[in-house]
Amino acid sequence: MAVEIRPETFSLVLFDVEEIRALTEQLVAQIGLPRDASVTVEVDETTPLGYAHVTSLSPVMLSLESGALEDPKRPRQMDPVGSADVLGRLLFEVRDRLDPAFGEAPASGDLTLPEASAWQAYCVGRLGRLGHHVQRQRRLYHFRNRHAFSDAADAAFDRLWNGDGLTWADIVAESNGALAAQPA
Amino acid sequence: MADSKKPRAPFAPWDRREIPGIFSVEESARRVGHYKWIEMRLFEVLGGWVATVPELDVKLRLGTHCYHHAWHAELWHKRLPELREMNPERLTAPPNDELVAFVEAMTEPEAADLTIEKIVGAYRVLIPAKIAAYTYHLNNTSTITDAPTIRSLSFILQDEMSDWRDGEMMLQSLIETEDELQRAIDHQAKLQRLLLAAGGIAGPGTIGDSYANDQEAHA
Amino acid sequence: MRKSFPVEDLARDARFVRVPIMERITDPRNAFQEQAGSSSRRAAGRLTPERPDAPDAARALMHGIFVGEIQALEGAGRTCWDFEVGAGDEEGVPEVPFELKLDMARQCWDEARHCEISIKLSDHMGTELGEFSENTFLYEAACNPDPVLRLTGVNRALEGLAIDVFNTMREFGELAGDPILEFCEDWMLADEVTHVKMGSDWLRRLTVNDKDRQKRALEFQRVVDKLFSLGGFRGEEEDSPVRLARRFRELAGFKEAEMDTLAEVAREARSEMEAQVARNKIAVTG
Repeated sequence: MAVEIRPETFSLVLFDVEEIRALTEQLVAQIGLPRDASVTVEVDETTPLGYAHVTSLSPVMLSLESGALEDPKRPRQMDPVGSADVLGRLLFEVRDRLDPAFGEAPASGDLTLPEASAWQAYCVGRLGRLGHHVQRQRRLYHFRNRHAFSDAADAAFDRLWNGDGLTWADIVAESNGALAAQPA
Repeated sequence: MADSKKPRAPFAPWDRREIPGIFSVEESARRVGHYKWIEMRLFEVLGGWVATVPELDVKLRLGTHCYHHAWHAELWHKRLPELREMNPERLTAPPNDELVAFVEAMTEPEAADLTIEKIVGAYRVLIPAKIAAYTYHLNNTSTITDAPTIRSLSFILQDEMSDWRDGEMMLQSLIETEDELQRAIDHQAKLQRLLLAAGGIAGPGTIGDSYANDQEAHA
Repeated sequence: MRKSFPVEDLARDARFVRVPIMERITDPRNAFQEQAGSSSRRAAGRLTPERPDAPDAARALMHGIFVGEIQALEGAGRTCWDFEVGAGDEEGVPEVPFELKLDMARQCWDEARHCEISIKLSDHMGTELGEFSENTFLYEAACNPDPVLRLTGVNRALEGLAIDVFNTMREFGELAGDPILEFCEDWMLADEVTHVKMGSDWLRRLTVNDKDRQKRALEFQRVVDKLFSLGGFRGEEEDSPVRLARRFRELAGFKEAEMDTLAEVAREARSEMEAQVARNKIAVTG
């Protein structure tokens, strides 16, 4: 397994390339990506915003804005806990996409906001069960915003959060079900 | 109610209020002026302490209680002209220098690690003393002629009792070690001595005299 | 306890980390951001549910509101303590009317309640207390030694900003279908309208015979309003994340002309921020 971090040194933020590499390697092993997978983490340090996407599967390429790894309490410094949340979520997405049984999901940029939040709930729920600090209520809030503040949405979220072995079709079904149950 | 014209007793059988009370108008005004003065000192310091206290729950309770005591001060401020004191500021005064010394000592703690001392001063010393003074006043004033004061005292005592309970519980949750317990005891003792010298929030006689006979007790 | 309590001594538990606003402004990454609203680079923009980052942006803003409420509570509390009751300035110690202090004590209760509401909302939104950094520019406006300037800074500028922010959050809650957020913000908004009215009333009463002081207070408010416009974060441009809540400001007693001036101040703040960013860009990229 090869993990590459770009850029090789940071000049605008105070991130440590080796710390990001070690964290990524740990997550790749825990999440169970193929042994021969090579992973590139590309950080755009020119923006403090926090978008993070899977931009390629072969090789695996994760593209992040620096805010995605930044400590919200310490400007320009990396937050290891928050970084594990973001990188772990993306690597679970990669694992799902590489699994033929999961099915064909749209490219990151083509996901609807409800689909994205549903998939994130599924990814972060599994990450939490690996022992990482995750924010369940935050993810529930995301999910509610994208579906509805309703009992049906909360139940769908629970199934995604606690789910394992779900397919893309399962995720879409939960998302659509929550949307359909939206209060008038 | 067979006959609405039939005369009824103006005081219902269950209404046992009576005219006698131990406070004259002047004495009542004097006490109310002292009450207003001490309520002001308390709401001011609770407001001031908010910024100095790191414990979030305590910070928020102090903010809430600050208003309770300001409202009490406002009630007393409005009562003074009704007691023939047309210049409320004249009677808004401490009963003696000893009470001023007590307030200075109570309001002294500022550092962020002195929350125990702050809470002890307000909630273990001053508020119990206020409850005592107000209860004495409530139980001894004329239930008919001084009804407005009684109404205010009743509202205020509800606040005081509930604030005292809040403060005592905050304190019990803050004190975790022998050292902290000793700090609370020492500070309380220091303040109680000063309050003893003052004779209470309205000076000597704040809660009457338990050793005098009935006639003299409230002189 | 001292009269006047310095901002650096504000007491917090270990969860809270303070970051000076200058550290944000001088962040070298800002040099690479195009002006807000430019199409060449994605900017944060107005807070609407359509924004992909909307839930997290709302969480961050809510945390900012929470720490702002703590500081507003502290500021009102200090006004209860810092000034003596009287009709003038006795031996250099500024004096204020008794009723003004009562209003500040009432505001303490309101702000304490707003903190409680904000904490419950943070739970609802999945935010941990202290999850985001705190900056203390709100309390700094509450440190002026002249009570009239302090009231103007806090009750007209700070609480005015609160009206704008609460209205933004209330609208966001409404659009997102979040009944809890909408409900809470609506209640807090009602209190803030009261606080601004309070500040306007006291400014008028305390300066009725002192036009110079009134002028100084209004100049101070302009300075604070510009600071609180946060480089255009609050303003009337289409992409301003927080917009002037003109209807609620009117309820609070702001005149149309005052709101026009505020919009102009916000535009100035934005221009100055953009100029600062341009200077940073030259410094960083050459």
